[in-house]
Amino acid sequence: MSVPEPVSGGRWQARLAIARRDLLEFVRDRRALFITLVMPMAMYPLLAMSSTLGVRAAIAELDKNRSVARLALALSGPDAEAFAARVAVAAERTADRAPGWPEHLTVRSVEADDAPQLLDSGGADAWIDLGPGVVRALDGADTVTLTPRFSTVRPPGRTVTEHVMAVMRGVADGARRARLANAGLPASLLEPIRVEFAGGEASAPGSGMRDILPTAASAVFVLLALLTATGAFYPAIDAIAGEKERGTIETLLIAPCDAIDVVAGKFLAVFTVTLATLLANAVSIALTATVLLRLLPADAAGSLPAPATLAAAGVTLLAYVGLAAVAAALCLTVTAASKSAKEAQNTLTPVVMLIAALAGSAILPGADAGRWVPAVPFAGHVAVAKAALATFTATATPPGGPAEGEPTAAGIGVGLIMSLVSSAVLTWLLLQLTANLVTDEEILFRGPEAATRGFARPPPRAIPSPGQGLAAAVAGLAALWYAQGLAPRDLLTGIVAQQAMAVLVPLAAIAWWQRVDARRTYALAWPAPSPPRTMLVLVGAALVGVGLFVTGAAALLAWGGDVSPELRQLAARLVDLVRAGPAWRAVAILAVMPAVCEELLFRGWVLAGLAGPSPSRRRALVAVVAQAALFAAFHLLPERMPQTFTVGLVLGWLTIATRSILPAVVAHAAHNATPVVLVAAASDAEFAAFQSGGAPSLPAWAVAAAIACLVAGTGLVAVAGWTETSRRTGP
Amino acid sequence: MIEVVDLVKEYRAGDGAVVRAVDGVSFRVEPGEMVGLLGGNGAGKTTTMRILATLLRPTAGTARVAGRDVLADPIGVRRHLGYVSATTGVPDRLTPREVLGSFGRIHGMARERLATRVTELAGILDLGGFLDRPCGRLSSGQRQRVSLARALVHDPTVLVLDEPTSTLDVLGSRDLLDLLGTLRTDGRTILVSTHRLHEIERRCDRFLIIAGGRIRAEGTRDALAAGRQGGLEAAFFAAVAGEAAP
Repeated sequence: MSVPEPVSGGRWQARLAIARRDLLEFVRDRRALFITLVMPMAMYPLLAMSSTLGVRAAIAELDKNRSVARLALALSGPDAEAFAARVAVAAERTADRAPGWPEHLTVRSVEADDAPQLLDSGGADAWIDLGPGVVRALDGADTVTLTPRFSTVRPPGRTVTEHVMAVMRGVADGARRARLANAGLPASLLEPIRVEFAGGEASAPGSGMRDILPTAASAVFVLLALLTATGAFYPAIDAIAGEKERGTIETLLIAPCDAIDVVAGKFLAVFTVTLATLLANAVSIALTATVLLRLLPADAAGSLPAPATLAAAGVTLLAYVGLAAVAAALCLTVTAASKSAKEAQNTLTPVVMLIAALAGSAILPGADAGRWVPAVPFAGHVAVAKAALATFTATATPPGGPAEGEPTAAGIGVGLIMSLVSSAVLTWLLLQLTANLVTDEEILFRGPEAATRGFARPPPRAIPSPGQGLAAAVAGLAALWYAQGLAPRDLLTGIVAQQAMAVLVPLAAIAWWQRVDARRTYALAWPAPSPPRTMLVLVGAALVGVGLFVTGAAALLAWGGDVSPELRQLAARLVDLVRAGPAWRAVAILAVMPAVCEELLFRGWVLAGLAGPSPSRRRALVAVVAQAALFAAFHLLPERMPQTFTVGLVLGWLTIATRSILPAVVAHAAHNATPVVLVAAASDAEFAAFQSGGAPSLPAWAVAAAIACLVAGTGLVAVAGWTETSRRTGP
Repeated sequence: MIEVVDLVKEYRAGDGAVVRAVDGVSFRVEPGEMVGLLGGNGAGKTTTMRILATLLRPTAGTARVAGRDVLADPIGVRRHLGYVSATTGVPDRLTPREVLGSFGRIHGMARERLATRVTELAGILDLGGFLDRPCGRLSSGQRQRVSLARALVHDPTVLVLDEPTSTLDVLGSRDLLDLLGTLRTDGRTILVSTHRLHEIERRCDRFLIIAGGRIRAEGTRDALAAGRQGGLEAAFFAAVAGEAAP
């Protein structure tokens, strides 16, 4: 009997068959189905119910602060009637009322003995006992001191004191006008400028709701992002890690299609479930919002901007389709690196935090949909939705169009397209990565111990791996961030602590974990074959360092634009430090120590890891550029980054060219020491003249001398340090 | 047909050392032939079979299945290959009919042909009693039969079976090996590995004895056992110990 030829189908048929198979499995998992699709329908009403009271209270408080303005003022004393008349006059001048004037004002004369009881019973909000001659003093030229009193059992709110002050300002204004009239001067003397806003009265009752709406909507958008992404978790875990656990992944990997087709099929299934989760959440939000609006006070609900239009809802849903795609792909990627469902769940936990952080960042001021924000995953999706709601539900567009920076319909469209394109590209990249991970032999067939292999101390290496090089820089950056908060505020000890925490501790930790050949990793070698040539190289490196600082400073002054307050403040503190103590101490702390520590990290560990054992010219170039970028990022302040990037490039070149870290250390120290020496050497008079000069530009001769230093230094290093190979040698 | 020439597979162990799991293995399995791959744990059987199934990439050497190279044309190999291993599972929440249906569709089978094939396999492998029951509620023997049906659904010309009887009882093993014998007579190429020599010593046409990643002995049962007391088992122990054939 002959064997029949096997059949073969198209790639899409295979993808759809895999997607159908995975979906069928998912819908049979009732627990996952409930958590993913049913729970949101129950969760939003519960959240809304629990928050309704809070929302009502918030609205009431806002409205109270803005417009519920009643003041019952009690006056006692012989001038009470006369003073009440002055208040009535002030109340009639509606156009000149001071801010905070109460909507409803009642003034009554009382006996001083009855006033405390009146306050405690709520018959009056404030009481002023007017001594004899108050009105006469007002008409004269004296200053009258009044002491409002409040109930001791019902302490006054902020609004009551504001109202009292407004009324007193109104009476005082009337007194000033009378005094001017008596002196024969016009009333306009008191009012050089009058401001009248167009558009009439603001802050109608219920405006509190308008204030709450953007915040509430942003919170809902972030929640929707998180819950939509959560919809991808269970199906993604089941789709890859679960298949590995059940031993069924092999059967798919021997299907007649590429790994990317298997992953695409699984993505379609996970994406479908994620979209279903999005829709379930959206429907629940819409229904909950409708109910919530009915529960709110009628005036508050009635003053809301027009309900979210179809356009706003459509943009939001479209943006979140992109979010669902990215979330599905991201979860698949993470679970593809896991051996079991449990491992995948552990790995997905930080992903939740990442998504929450990114989505939450869209609420921050400045994270609008008009710039590059829409391209950022999760943050961009939320920003587009937020901007769409703000734009399409606005009650009216002001004359002349939206203000600069306000989102427009066209801007929303561009943001949406940017978001969708970015999502598509990111999804495609993640799926490619997933296809690589899912067929990775180590992950696919490793034993149970392999899950923790990444945390076991690895065997010694000659130099760190590229990943370890990068990890040290990232750890340094994170440690620097924390060091800024934890280091002492005193600049002297603060710098020492920062260098220790951000450079030495991470470097020591990673060097302990990954044992390396220190001589090769940190390029601990002389830069030239003989002592005289070594000296020439180091002198050249020092000249390069000085030249780099001066040219960098000249460039910053010429093209740097406005210097940020942070940089200005830092510079001022550094100058104070240098002027306050001996020069050697400043040189040691500001120049030598950073040079040694940072060079060991960046031109030692990081550069060695990124360049590899025997780098080609291209690999060496990429490594030098990459470590320079990390070095620039390490200096945090954006204005300094171009300069520190350039310095990083030059120091990287010095290390690669001489196969020694010493020239980089010397150049770095010389670079940092140059301003220290200049500031320390200046006389007080010179220093005062320099400080009063604002932001000076450097004289041409100084720039020319710096360029000469750079050229001469580079030449010295190149000639004296030249050996047969200008690259690091291999193991 | 299966052709393996100087196959090498290396991987890096947890301590960073390079381990050579398969070390220059060469052999052929012709159409209509069933060959047993015998070896202890860690001998290189599973690695060799995973390379044939395109799940692992060889470090060196070549492996061809049905005339297709595993590296150059892995999709072509998969179209002609049916693969089952001891760790291969079946989805708990799907029924055998759904499992076979989904894999038939992945292989591009038309609806009518697929339905006919499922009925055919249900008859051959005796799946009829549980064809619509979720796999999670099947016994290990039933699950293994479903797994084999899945590997056969697209009528592959080559079968690579890595310890297919390890989860089966005696009766289940006998039935499965009987079925393999039938498939061999249909002209299929079958490579099967097992620890249980007695199960296959009278069913396979030839045997490959592998140890330490190398083929130590190769031949028919009679040729390997010739001159030894204890038959194939003795030949196996001798080959693993590195003794030359008498």
